[in-house]
Amino acid sequence: MVSAIIGRLSQAFLLLLVMSVIGFIGIHSVGNPVFNLVNAETATPEDIRRATVALGLDQPVWHQYFRFIGNVFTGNFGTSYIYHLPAFQLVMGKLPATLELAIVAMMIAAPAGVLLGLLAGRRKDKPVDRTILRLSVIALSIPSFWLSMMLILIGAILTGWFPSGGRGPTGVFLGTEWSFLTLDGLRQLTLPALALALPNVALIARLTRSGTIEVETQDFTRFCQAKGLSPRRILFRHTLPNISVPIVTIIGMQFGGMLAFAVVVESIFNWPGVGKLLIDSIQLLDRPVVMATLTFISIAFVALNALVDLFYVVLDPRTRRSA
Amino acid sequence: MEQQHHHEPLLVVNNLTLKHQGAAATTTILRDVSLELRRGEILGLIGESGAGKSTLGNAVLGLLAPGFSQTGGRILFEGLALNELSDKQRMELRGRRISAIFQDHTASLDPLMSVGSQIVETIRALDDGLTSRQAKSRALELMQRVGIPDPALRFRHYPHQFSGGQRQRIVIAIALAGRPDIIVADEPTSALDATIQKQILALLRNLTDETGVSVMLVTHDMGVISEIADRVIVMRHGKVVEQGATSSILDMPAEVYTKDLLAAVPRLRLPPASSPTNDVPRSADPQANIVPQTKLDQNPILRVKDVTKTYAGRSFPWLRRGPQSPALRDVSIELVRGSITGIVGESGSGKSTIGRIVAGLETAGRGSLDLNGRQFDISLAGKKNGLLGQIQMIFQDPAMSLNPRMSIGAALEESVWFGSRGSPSDRQDVGEMMDCLGLPRSLLLSFPHQLSGGQKQRVCIARALLANPSIIVADEPTSALDVSVQADIVRLLKETVSERGVSMLFISHDLALVQDLCSEIYIFRDGVVEDAGSADFIFSKSQNPYTRRLIDARPGRFTH
Repeated sequence: MVSAIIGRLSQAFLLLLVMSVIGFIGIHSVGNPVFNLVNAETATPEDIRRATVALGLDQPVWHQYFRFIGNVFTGNFGTSYIYHLPAFQLVMGKLPATLELAIVAMMIAAPAGVLLGLLAGRRKDKPVDRTILRLSVIALSIPSFWLSMMLILIGAILTGWFPSGGRGPTGVFLGTEWSFLTLDGLRQLTLPALALALPNVALIARLTRSGTIEVETQDFTRFCQAKGLSPRRILFRHTLPNISVPIVTIIGMQFGGMLAFAVVVESIFNWPGVGKLLIDSIQLLDRPVVMATLTFISIAFVALNALVDLFYVVLDPRTRRSA
Repeated sequence: MEQQHHHEPLLVVNNLTLKHQGAAATTTILRDVSLELRRGEILGLIGESGAGKSTLGNAVLGLLAPGFSQTGGRILFEGLALNELSDKQRMELRGRRISAIFQDHTASLDPLMSVGSQIVETIRALDDGLTSRQAKSRALELMQRVGIPDPALRFRHYPHQFSGGQRQRIVIAIALAGRPDIIVADEPTSALDATIQKQILALLRNLTDETGVSVMLVTHDMGVISEIADRVIVMRHGKVVEQGATSSILDMPAEVYTKDLLAAVPRLRLPPASSPTNDVPRSADPQANIVPQTKLDQNPILRVKDVTKTYAGRSFPWLRRGPQSPALRDVSIELVRGSITGIVGESGSGKSTIGRIVAGLETAGRGSLDLNGRQFDISLAGKKNGLLGQIQMIFQDPAMSLNPRMSIGAALEESVWFGSRGSPSDRQDVGEMMDCLGLPRSLLLSFPHQLSGGQKQRVCIARALLANPSIIVADEPTSALDVSVQADIVRLLKETVSERGVSMLFISHDLALVQDLCSEIYIFRDGVVEDAGSADFIFSKSQNPYTRRLIDARPGRFTH
């Protein structure tokens, strides 16, 4: 067990290292941040030179990279060029907004997707199944900016049920501000959460459907029928656990994606989350914030993967070793 | 009270006709089938694949697959016409009145649920009134009943922690949970080793005698029928060929098909029971048991010495439970040129592993292999050890060992190309080979799924021969085939070896088959050679208790 954890940790470490190299080279090649920091109209070449030296941008890339890595080991991601705040603190400040959006979206997507998938799988090739399949193709193929705008059009402009954007009032919990604690906050959350959830409903439903069809052809579900169990019990107590490994895997991956890359939805709904911070920072060439965000995202993915693995072990007795 | 009903049929099938609506055509699966099942009897339904016997079992359970429809006749259970019931009523009959045992004990149980929970959920589904404590104590009682040792501990275990035989016992316990009147047992022992098979059949017989449950036993194996069935129905192409008491069908079959079926079963020919004790027991050392003359006469084409193979555990071997037992330990075998040598053992004995090592498909940790006087490095697999191609394999399931997207002709040509190894003079003619093996040349353009099981296995044999091998390793080549086809294939293998001078390692779990075919036999057990010698020695003289047990375990009264 201990060695498995050590193995996992060293893998994660390697992953972070590779990611940091790619991220660093990437952001380096986008452009020189100095021109965003000095006033391009009035700055003299001397001002630019001094700013460059102050930020350490006169050094070769590998030198800059090693200095960055060295700082990271001391827990310092640098100071944002734009906000003049510690970069990691800035990312953590945006986290609650993203976290609650992703959690609410997944709380809609996972149950809805699984139920629709089970229904479609049980009624294979029947009208219900075909309808679910077609809708899922639509939900997967429409771009998320269009979906977001339609949700705003229908949910906010035409009916006026929900606000069209922004985070609104928040309640304080564990020293941070959360929207889900107030009724208004929940109304603010609804539309962006739906925009994130719908494609995932479709994805999870399709996965569940194909799993259900596969498991239902196996002998043990036939044997369950032969021993007199009701179809509903077979579906929820036998079929569902047996198809849950791929479903939980995809839920984990998609959740990670929501934390990091809900850029379009966060931008359209003006939701102050991590994704929006990342895209803004890339545009402003705010290197410390970009690197801090990327590092956070990598850690989040590694942690989610570990949770999914843990779930396998809890679920499947064959992967457990009795003491 | 039960005695009064004893001779009244519990289940009556009247002129049942069933059709299957396929993508292309509608086929009749069952035609005018009529039968009766009485209380407390075991009724055997026997037939080869495609006979419709399993479909009949499913129809009784009300679990026909989509596409099947009943177009005529009736199934009456205690006078109740089953096809007139609603789905819900059928569901209520299942488990309580009619339950089932399937062939594949591994697939029958949910791998994610402890066996105790699976028994308890069945008990509670069938009897709402029970508390969970009562259900658990009944589950423990059932486990005890079917012969699971230490039920209280085993209750919490998962299916993968049980052996095959024990899993099938659990399946039987679940089938009994609702105290049913009928159990439909579809090939209940076909996936088990002979010794385990015998125990499970005895258990079924006891349960029938004690509880008065009726069993509809669907099987392809005459041995199983002769072991426990009271009456037999012989089926072919969806029709009943013949029915009657087991003894009369076995001893005096009226129909030609039944006679053929009986004749096709490989039988053990044993000397009178007294003979083993008349001979002086040979040395206990298995190597010394090999009849000496073969060693002197011929120089073996293949000599495998002291092969040891251990399967690596998971990626963290130091975490495994207990010491790991090797798959093979110091195994030595010899194969005489132009002969067939049998390797016999139960599952897990290492018999297939040695075959795969000889063929170069697997590596071994230690040991040497000498083919035609040349040494090969068996710690290397595949091309590296140079064995590949000189030894060809025939696998158990022909359907799975042919590429479904490759025509028969293309598959055989590939083998010719491979076998000639660049020199045109060594090329064999595909057409001639097909004639020899009784395959019509018109099949060259066909694809595997268009062939019958027997034809596919012939193609596999042709494919092996066309590669010009020195040795053919045949791993259970007839186990996936019907008995009548099995007999043809065995004859074909025999002819091939005698006419072409190929040598063959024949791996099987079936002693009777090996007796017909092989001159030398090695008996494998838990990765070691337990017993070895000429066929004659093994069957009549060997004193090895394990060998004796294997010979005795074969079901059926064919030995008389």
